Amino acid sequence: MAKTIFPQESIYNYLPDQVHTEKPKYKSKFRPVLILKDKTLKDAMKTMGPAKVATPSPDKYLKKHSKEPKLPQIKERCHRMCTTKKPAVPLRSEHPPMDLHSKRSLIKPTTPVPTKQLVASVDTSRGHKELLEHSGLVPKYVNKKSYGKVPEYLQHRNEEVHRSVDEYNKYLKEQMEQGAMRQLSEEERQANLESLRTTLDELHNKYNRLPVVMDTLTRKNRKDQLEAEIKQLESDVGLFERFKTIYIAK
Amino acid sequence: FSIMDQTPKEVPQLELAAVSGFNGQVHFGMRLHPDKEHLIYPLGCTVVLTRIKDNMRHFLHGHTSDISCLSTSKSGVYIASGQINYNDFEAEIIVWEYTKRCIYTRFVIHESKVEALAFSPNDKYLVSLGGQDDGRILLWSITTKQAICSAPALPLSLCHRLTVKYSNTNDNIFVSAGRATLQIWELDEFNKIKPTDCKLSKLKRTVRCIEFAPDDEYIFCGTTSGDILKIHTKTKYLSDYGPIKTKHSLGANVLKALSTGELLVGSGFGTLTLCSSTTFKALKHVQMNNGVTSIALKDDGRHFFAGTDASEIYCLDLQDFKAELVSTSHHGAVKDVSIAFGSSELFVTGSEEDIRAWHIDNSKELLRIPQPCLTCNTVHLMIDGHSIVTGWNDGKIRVFAPQSGRLMLIIHNAHRNGVSAIKGSTDCKKIVSGGQEGTVCVWELLKHGHRRLAFLTEHKSTVRCVQIKSDDKEAVTASMDGTCILWDIVKFVRIRKIISKNSSFKTVCYHPEEHQILTSGTDRKIVYWDVHDGTAIRELQDAQTLAINCMHISHDGRYFVTGGDDKLVRVWDYMDGMVTHVGRAHGGAITSVEICCNNSTLITTSADGAVMRWKFPHPVVE
Repeated sequence: MAKTIFPQESIYNYLPDQVHTEKPKYKSKFRPVLILKDKTLKDAMKTMGPAKVATPSPDKYLKKHSKEPKLPQIKERCHRMCTTKKPAVPLRSEHPPMDLHSKRSLIKPTTPVPTKQLVASVDTSRGHKELLEHSGLVPKYVNKKSYGKVPEYLQHRNEEVHRSVDEYNKYLKEQMEQGAMRQLSEEERQANLESLRTTLDELHNKYNRLPVVMDTLTRKNRKDQLEAEIKQLESDVGLFERFKTIYIAK
Repeated sequence: FSIMDQTPKEVPQLELAAVSGFNGQVHFGMRLHPDKEHLIYPLGCTVVLTRIKDNMRHFLHGHTSDISCLSTSKSGVYIASGQINYNDFEAEIIVWEYTKRCIYTRFVIHESKVEALAFSPNDKYLVSLGGQDDGRILLWSITTKQAICSAPALPLSLCHRLTVKYSNTNDNIFVSAGRATLQIWELDEFNKIKPTDCKLSKLKRTVRCIEFAPDDEYIFCGTTSGDILKIHTKTKYLSDYGPIKTKHSLGANVLKALSTGELLVGSGFGTLTLCSSTTFKALKHVQMNNGVTSIALKDDGRHFFAGTDASEIYCLDLQDFKAELVSTSHHGAVKDVSIAFGSSELFVTGSEEDIRAWHIDNSKELLRIPQPCLTCNTVHLMIDGHSIVTGWNDGKIRVFAPQSGRLMLIIHNAHRNGVSAIKGSTDCKKIVSGGQEGTVCVWELLKHGHRRLAFLTEHKSTVRCVQIKSDDKEAVTASMDGTCILWDIVKFVRIRKIISKNSSFKTVCYHPEEHQILTSGTDRKIVYWDVHDGTAIRELQDAQTLAINCMHISHDGRYFVTGGDDKLVRVWDYMDGMVTHVGRAHGGAITSVEICCNNSTLITTSADGAVMRWKFPHPVVE
């Protein structure tokens, strides 16, 4: 029985190729430099031997201290502290500079302008000399514009204070007015009194019409209630009659 | 003694790294959210929101069973999903709030299945259609969270409704269609819906999908016969239909009207066609491998996504019409997973009809080995990585090459009713396999063939799990008959038998030191057993309510992972016996879990076809 041979399969072949996690082999970091150096040397001696360069002459032998490092020469120190160099003094043989004219006319005679004398004050014959203006003998401060005036900033401040005080007073007044009691006018008082009296009369009327026999609790209660009301009204009427000025709280 | 588990809410969550899974069978299941950033699709009983940019996923949990339909509102505020339930049980509709990613409301009236859902254009109403047993149409108000009115199922058993679609502009008009029925419904001011039958004259069709023209003038209906009906909305008369000669093979499954006036048609055969809406002539077409079940247009108007019933998502360009595969996933239940030894990146999954090899960075598989009409029950990747050993429900063991997918070896009649568990030895020369009928076989792999070394018949029922000791001298098998047997696989004799009372073992694993084994099964208990005398050392009782299907212990032996029917992945501390982490993402029963060698990845698979990769929370301590 002939059988074909199939390659062996594995489910693990479905997995993506595994990434090498091993560390790379150690390599010196100087390696490229060394290779380059080696190469140049080797190249030089590859076929023709060492490079044919002139041999150093016997005069140039190794001298004493020649290998020592040469220090830079110290410069001469500048003693003068001048920053810019002045031009040299002209020599005796040199001619003075020519063609330098002044603008002043030589023909026209100069008229001397008298200089204004500054007034000074001297305290003693050999003492200090000072300009009269600054000496304090001349009234200078009094002539200032702002002399004798209240400074502006103080004015502003005062205004501010006044305004705030006013506002506060106004506020207080308002508060007082709000909380103040109202006085009843005479007409109102009379009207009240009149109404009270009419109600009192009505109650009296009712009271008088009550039955004589007080046998039930309802009647008794009714009488008591009327009496209480009358008493209250009488006291009210008395109050209104006695006092002319009446205040009412808001 | 037993230790009660903490409630799962207190336990930290596992971090999800990647998900592969998409239920392509749901008609129009994949949708693009109106913000054009998220792709919404069902996966088992969860709704997955995937941000296209960076594949960030969000899961909406709430359904108790598989999702059967999905819809997004036009404004994007709500997502609605309906589910399948057992017969005579009520099937829920859940309306989700998109921004908060939480449940907005639940609607429960339909029985056993919700067939289709549609939002009204202004998010006012949701119309839902019940399945074949139910057949009712219900109109729900989103604002009041109540049903407004309902329409009964069609009286004739010959005709039933399959799909429902709301108009693009009018909140009061929607269309329902199905086998020998096509009705336009109008909602009047008394909150009653009234149907008007469309006049199709002599035409008899089963409508699979409905699409409104952008201006609502016409309705396009894709039929199972492969042609498209064009109906005038106002007059309700059939205006046109076609193509007459070259019909879409296996029916026009999905329709999408473009703003340019053309139609995108996806057929059940997998042809995606761009055709004109007047003559129905195909302008461009592209052939895909499987039937197209959903189309989602991107916002640039040039690209669109297409989902197929084989759970593949393609991205296409309207100009050149080239399909580019975006992601693939299993479309059937994933039965088993095996991670390549020593790697945390490669793994192999076995599912219905195919096995696939995956790399964790790739959303597409590396290799697919299709085996039509067969189910791979168990898969094992040999330690040397040279072969994939698989057990199939036709009772054969097949060994594949991992790169070309070539069938290297086939063992006929290995187990009579199907192979249910398989494991390879560490020297890669032996295989221990367990069958549905309870037999355990030891095989030797030769260069050009195989040899059966032993045939052990102790178990009375399905062998669910096989584990081999690292020295290749002993093996342990767990069976559904409630026994767990330790075998000597050199002399081929039974060493010890562990019997559990009134439960069946579903999974077993060796602790890496191999003095203890862990078993678990339908009794929800994880039991530590001593290998040398077969006594139970410790018993962990879990607070979970459903059976444990699979278990795997980390290679350092400090943690183990379990998964079960309750869709939760639990990470346990071996010494403390406490749950340290819980993973909540699966939308189906978890079928297998595996931790990679260096404790970095945890891979779980579930019955809804999802393969999820989690970050394992406990890295190896040096």
